[in-house]
Amino acid sequence: MKYIPTIGIECHVQLSTKTKLFSEVDNDARGKEPNSCVSPVDYALPGMLPRLNGEAIKFAIRAGRAMNCEINASSRFDRKHYFYPDSPKGYQITQFYHPIIGEGYVELPDGKKIRIEHAHLEGDAGKLTHFDTYSLVDLNRVDTPLIEIVSMPDMHSAKDAHDYAKALWRLMCYAEVTNGDLYNGNMRFDVNVSLAEEGAAELGTRAEVKNLNSFKSVERAVEYEIKRQTKLLEKGEKIIQETRGWNDATGETTGQRSKEEAKDYRYMPEPDLPPINLSSEFIEEESKKLPLMPKDYKEKFTGKIADDTLEVLLDYPALMKKLAETKDVKRVSNWFASVLLAEEKSAEYLNDLPTAKQLDDLSEMTKKGELSSTGAKEVFLKFFDPEMGKRETKVIAKELNVIQENDLGELEKIVDEVLANPATKQAQEDFKNGQEKVIGFLVGQVMKASKGKANPSSAQEILRKKLA
Amino acid sequence: MKITREDILHLAKLSNFSLSEDEIKSLGTDLENIIGYISELNELDTEGVEPTYQVFEMENVWRDDEIKEQEASREDLLNLTTESAQDQIKVPKVL
Repeated sequence: MKYIPTIGIECHVQLSTKTKLFSEVDNDARGKEPNSCVSPVDYALPGMLPRLNGEAIKFAIRAGRAMNCEINASSRFDRKHYFYPDSPKGYQITQFYHPIIGEGYVELPDGKKIRIEHAHLEGDAGKLTHFDTYSLVDLNRVDTPLIEIVSMPDMHSAKDAHDYAKALWRLMCYAEVTNGDLYNGNMRFDVNVSLAEEGAAELGTRAEVKNLNSFKSVERAVEYEIKRQTKLLEKGEKIIQETRGWNDATGETTGQRSKEEAKDYRYMPEPDLPPINLSSEFIEEESKKLPLMPKDYKEKFTGKIADDTLEVLLDYPALMKKLAETKDVKRVSNWFASVLLAEEKSAEYLNDLPTAKQLDDLSEMTKKGELSSTGAKEVFLKFFDPEMGKRETKVIAKELNVIQENDLGELEKIVDEVLANPATKQAQEDFKNGQEKVIGFLVGQVMKASKGKANPSSAQEILRKKLA
Repeated sequence: MKITREDILHLAKLSNFSLSEDEIKSLGTDLENIIGYISELNELDTEGVEPTYQVFEMENVWRDDEIKEQEASREDLLNLTTESAQDQIKVPKVL
């Protein structure tokens, strides 16, 4: 029996607004003490009321537009009740009935379109750390704004799931709505996997693997679920609808609590937050602020950057932005590609990018022959040096002593000296007798005499003229 | 509407309440009365009427994205909890 897997993904994206969704507290708790970014609202003390962060609405519009989604003019908040220490309110404020983001789609690199069912705004929960006999609660993350993006079950392989997760990450980063730090949970994926017999009219029972925070774990969890469910079905057993956890070390999923049904959440309209009714002008104005998306950069750079290089560089949104500011994209992208690919430097290397002027100057100097390709790369690497990086390109090149001698008069003098040297007599004879290769030796002598600063192609040109 | 003992136990579990036998019984009666009273509203014909979500007729109430210094300190807030450790709120083990 052949089974066809069907996959849908829910993705939580933490928005990088300055304050939380419902309180005027610092939303950036990176590197901060537990419970230092909290207010009485986050503690849900009696009488505290949420105050909606208008910026989160604008972020949601941009995020929606990045996924080609309709923006719903009218949306509202609801309470989703559940009891757990990570949520002092006893409920999460979310948009169950009227989400702000409507239908859209995300395109995968292979051209597949994954439809977006909707996406909504909601508050994040606190963080729990478990010990032997107790748990500790840190509320810094309570009500960090999230958008939850719900896809249609349009994926049918582990690769689809991986590609979708990555495409979403790129879109959210380019839309500048999140810091996109996966390691720190800025984007978390819940993956629904079901199997159905080939040709079956209905989808099979699904299992949901929660809280995956890398593309790789999304891919591996789907692979594992397909294998696990196939095995069960082949034995004639039934799949239980349940929530499963992922263990990155063992590469397995394990059953967790049985899923609460929607009615158990006792959804009700949030009475403390009036509805959002957006004018089409407001939506239009925010939509216009959507920065260039990966597809826009692809269009812009096709023909200037090789496709496979571009695919790698697209993982660095700030770099794409910088490239767009430079004049000689081809040359500059090559330097970055060789740093990122050949030297395996990672993203943090690119946290502090050179200025467009530094890069343009470097291109110009290379084009003029003032720098050899090796010299240019040396200068380029120094752009990332904490000591020298901020200096002008020319200054760095001078300090590295890599500027090539281009003064032809000066160069001619050096060539004459080399030719006058008895040590090169034999080589000159050989060249005149048709031994082409010897020119390399002579150019080498000129380079040596100029202490490496001569432009080798100019040196060769002059040598040939003199020996003709 | 009949509220069964199972309904009460289910609701108590969702809210993490432990109830005595007496409470289970009296809550059942109370809930039945409340729901019975409210369900009289079901007799109204609301076909084609927009549901009411709020009665103040406000919309688009939101604030600027500016951080405000909080009057209550971390210590003030942690002091309100029953137990804390390592600047965090200590709760019975949950998993």
